[in-house]
Amino acid sequence: MLGYLIRRVIHALLVIAAVATLVFFMLRAVPGDPLRAMLFEIGDAEAVEALRTKLGLDQPMYVQYVIWFGHVLQGDLGNSIYGSRVSVSRIITEAFPRTISLAGFAFIIALLLAVPAGIVSAIRKHSIFDHVFTFIAFLGLSMPDFWVAIILIIIFAVNLHWLPAIGYADISKGFWPWFSHLILPAIAIGTAFSAILARMIRSALLEVMKSDFIRTARAKGLDENLVIFKHALRNAAIPVITVLGIAIALLMSGAVIVENVFSIKGLGRTLIQGILNRDYPVVQGAILVVSVIFVFANLLVDVFYTLVDPRIRYEE
Amino acid sequence: MAQITTELKTPTLAKASRLRWLGYLWRDKKAVIGLFVLSLFVLSAIFAPWIAPYDPNAMDFQMLLAPSMDHPLGVDDLGRDLLSRIIHGARVSIFVGLSTVGIALVIGVFLGILAGYFGGWIDTIIMRYIDLVWAFPNFIIAVYLVAVFGTGLENVIIAIALAYLDDFARIARGMVLSIREQDFVASAKSMGASSLRIMRVHLFPNALAPIIVTATVSIANAILAEAGLSFLGLGVKPTTPTWGLILSDARSFFTRAWWLAVFPGMAIMLTVLSINFLGDALRDIFDVREYQD
Amino acid sequence: MFDGLDKHTQEQLKRDFKEAHDFDPKDPLFGLRQSDFRGPKMGRRTVLRLLAAAGMLSMSHLLPQTVKTVLGQSGGELTAGWAGVGEIRTLDPAQINQVLQFQIASNVLGGLTHINPDLVAEGDLAVDWQVSADGTEYTFNLREGVTFHNGDPFTADDVVFTFNRSKDPQKSIHTGTIANVQSAEKIDDLTVKFTLAKPQASFLVKATERSSGRALTIVSQGGLEALGTEQYGLTPVGTGPFRVTEHQLGQGVTLEKFDNYYDPQRPKLDKITIIPIIENEPLAAAIEAGDIQLIGGNPPAAELIDRFVDNSDLTVSIIPGPGFQALFVNPWREPMRVPGFNKSISELKSESGFKVRLAIAKALDRDDYIARAQFGRGVPAFGSINPAMGFFFDTAINDTSEQRFNLDEARQLLADAGFPNGDGFPVLRLSGTPAARRELQIVAGILKQNLNINTEVDIKDFPVLIDEFDAMEYDLLRIGSGGDFDPDDGLVDWMITTSKFNGPDRDKENMPFGFFSEAEVDAAVAAEVVEPDLDARKALVQKANNLTSNKVAALFLFHPLDILVFRNEVNFPAESRIPGLVDLDRVTLG
Repeated sequence: MLGYLIRRVIHALLVIAAVATLVFFMLRAVPGDPLRAMLFEIGDAEAVEALRTKLGLDQPMYVQYVIWFGHVLQGDLGNSIYGSRVSVSRIITEAFPRTISLAGFAFIIALLLAVPAGIVSAIRKHSIFDHVFTFIAFLGLSMPDFWVAIILIIIFAVNLHWLPAIGYADISKGFWPWFSHLILPAIAIGTAFSAILARMIRSALLEVMKSDFIRTARAKGLDENLVIFKHALRNAAIPVITVLGIAIALLMSGAVIVENVFSIKGLGRTLIQGILNRDYPVVQGAILVVSVIFVFANLLVDVFYTLVDPRIRYEE
Repeated sequence: MAQITTELKTPTLAKASRLRWLGYLWRDKKAVIGLFVLSLFVLSAIFAPWIAPYDPNAMDFQMLLAPSMDHPLGVDDLGRDLLSRIIHGARVSIFVGLSTVGIALVIGVFLGILAGYFGGWIDTIIMRYIDLVWAFPNFIIAVYLVAVFGTGLENVIIAIALAYLDDFARIARGMVLSIREQDFVASAKSMGASSLRIMRVHLFPNALAPIIVTATVSIANAILAEAGLSFLGLGVKPTTPTWGLILSDARSFFTRAWWLAVFPGMAIMLTVLSINFLGDALRDIFDVREYQD
Repeated sequence: MFDGLDKHTQEQLKRDFKEAHDFDPKDPLFGLRQSDFRGPKMGRRTVLRLLAAAGMLSMSHLLPQTVKTVLGQSGGELTAGWAGVGEIRTLDPAQINQVLQFQIASNVLGGLTHINPDLVAEGDLAVDWQVSADGTEYTFNLREGVTFHNGDPFTADDVVFTFNRSKDPQKSIHTGTIANVQSAEKIDDLTVKFTLAKPQASFLVKATERSSGRALTIVSQGGLEALGTEQYGLTPVGTGPFRVTEHQLGQGVTLEKFDNYYDPQRPKLDKITIIPIIENEPLAAAIEAGDIQLIGGNPPAAELIDRFVDNSDLTVSIIPGPGFQALFVNPWREPMRVPGFNKSISELKSESGFKVRLAIAKALDRDDYIARAQFGRGVPAFGSINPAMGFFFDTAINDTSEQRFNLDEARQLLADAGFPNGDGFPVLRLSGTPAARRELQIVAGILKQNLNINTEVDIKDFPVLIDEFDAMEYDLLRIGSGGDFDPDDGLVDWMITTSKFNGPDRDKENMPFGFFSEAEVDAAVAAEVVEPDLDARKALVQKANNLTSNKVAALFLFHPLDILVFRNEVNFPAESRIPGLVDLDRVTLG
């Protein structure tokens, strides 16, 4: 077991390093000179070159790479090339909690919607309830999240004035500001995800309900509902955990668009703006952080999965 | 993605079974509705130039007209008829959905079978690549590719295809790995069948079921992805009307012109919904088939 | 706006203008006396003369302001949205490269002088100043009792420190603006002397002035040392009416009233929160919902203005904007190839390349374009000289320019060039930034409708667009200029052969010049730059402008307006309505 774990961790680290390297070089392949764009209005070519030298961007690519990598190993992610050249770690440390709050909130909303819906659908299979819920779930899956976001803004922010239309409030400013700024975006992201989750719970439960030990329990005359709740739920937790891996991907993709619509400066938006602005250090740093999260999250999910059901193993 | 655990059956698909499929399909009401709605959109896509009342890019009309007899879905901010744009939009959106998944499927399954069958270093390389791609939300990959290569239909298709092929590769590989252990492959080999024939006759058909299901889901997601990319301004070129682009163009006008927000969004939703219904029905069919044997 | 005034006022303003330009250019004191160059206030006449001598005087400086002054109560919190920007990257004057950044910095940091909209130069951090007889030495007496936000006293040391920092290209990107200033010397704690290499009219009205002189916006040495450059750029320490208490990257900047500001009457507000909002829809939703009360930063998108005007909760203040937007046509590409512009117009018109160029220009109905693309907000443009330049701007060009809309002539020209009804015309690329997407689609639509030619809209990010522009790798490219108050800003920067935007990175062997080069224009501009006589200068400017227009140096589209939007409860006094700035020290609520 330990050997497996170590192998997976090394594997994960290699993936992260490969991604970071790939991104580093591919970023510089992107056309467009950020420095010239930044100083366009000033129109002073010498100032541009002075800045380029100062930031070390005139060195050959592999030299820049080695320098950057060295710094990363020491924990220094570099600085943004714009403005006051704020450190990348700082940008990420400020952006990260926003995305995490958003994703976490969305996940909770999704759970609150999906778990009861999924369970009830499975138990009352083929009933009206099941059909209606299934339909709603599909609806949720099929709506583009930016569309949901816009409709929510139009209804709740512009027309009803119940909730703010944009931005993010740090929790240090109080629970309600933090909460109220996050509700609409979290719903926008959470709906699609809850639909997927509900479906997964439902089918997992259905499978389990057909399995042997449930039949045995029924045969023994035990209270069906009790049996379901105790045994089925535990087993249904497996797909939920599996889905956590996808959840992170889904929630972050959703976050990118929704952060855009609500003007929340989270990790996704930082990354996208960085790419569009050619802010190399920011993109490199953000991708590094994102890939660490993903790879290790998936690693944890895999390990957990393996622990729970030793029959199911990832081939190496 | 979740593991697909299916029972194995004898590899030939008798004609009778196929008819049974249709029977099951018919019984699932959602699937029927889904099929019907989907065909409407597909037909619109194919016959767009004939069905659409006006040229989708003609800015001939007064800006921001509400829905009326002349313009059942209204007019956008540049004076273009929304109905015509949505009909033509079906073309691109569906084309994108099909081609991205088509490419992803072909390449992904091919890679997956290669990896599973030959194992060894081929397997390792392919799986590393899959892991790399899988480490990211498809979106970020697509954004990045668009930044490098520029916007445009071809680049969007490539970007989304690259992001989705990992699912197919994994399934194919998983199938191959579990089947490889089975006796009949060993016996086929001992009878002298070539690797290629084994793959074609035995392995491929069994992977078909989950692949079809994944494909339908992926088409739905690809359409949503293209809408998202176009919405962010990273998708197709401005003159090609896709539903995501229509929504994006109209962003500043939603509060004045609700039709610009509602109709394109509904088009996306209905199309994706019908594909999902179909996919779900297919999934049920394959599951049902299993349990019957 | 000038045309909207009564005859009498128009005449008065014209006289002021003429008088301001009436001096001997060789005079180091520009026709003024030494005693004129004194604080605590320099008179209007003096300021006008200096602006004129610096080539910076425009009619918009003279126009009476139209925003009403209503007194409100002190106190309160204002939330402002900064349009079209994702984050405020820096507030360090030495690194500021965007006007939207300076709008904030102007509330936090001070300068030696400040010109108010009445064109009276008041001391800000200086109370008094004198100039030497030869015009090369300026001595400033500094205000006593001024403190920085961190409690440090403001002294001459800080002025010298700021100067030296701005002179160092490693620390500042604005070294070019003080190139003519050789040194800054501390005479005593409250006296500083600047030595110039040559007399420079703009020194007092530009370099030391709070709004435009970023090189001499006073920074706190103590603050820099304590915070470090990186943090200082986010939360700068200055002497301004507001201090930065919080700066969350990408989310907002918080300013709070500085209790020890030297003027006890200001500021009025207690707190200001500035939130960058890059997208149009969230910006509009926010101000309509009251989440923000004012829009600063980049100008709000044209499609939102009608919405704001229709909203009875909002006030929209519109003044003429200084700038132009144009479509640059590559003269080195078929079918609009023009290898040389040094011919008479009739000769040029016999060339098929020029015919195509002119045909496209004539087919662009600017009124239609502005109505659709800008929702009617903008002035049709036929040259780089804009309405904010007042005296130099002549609307006669609308009726005389070869570029003006004439559909029949456009079609005839195209047919003569070999493309009757657009047959056989290649698909040209229309390049622009994502923000210009809508406008370019409209241009494409107009060209298709009027000339039956097809164009492809090609959206590129700004860095890539610049590369294309500088290297002349485009067919038609949309770009423009802002902040042009003097004819030199339009002509010198854009229209002469050696202008900095004229294809500096092109393949010089195959392209002898960039997008335009014409000997008469070059000569006229060279002459107007040094011409002291107003009428003569105007004649030269208009000659150059008309030539660029008639020979289609670019397809000029429109002149944008300067628009400020705020909720009715915000009182934005006339004194604060300075074009390009969002000074909030006199703003009140209620």
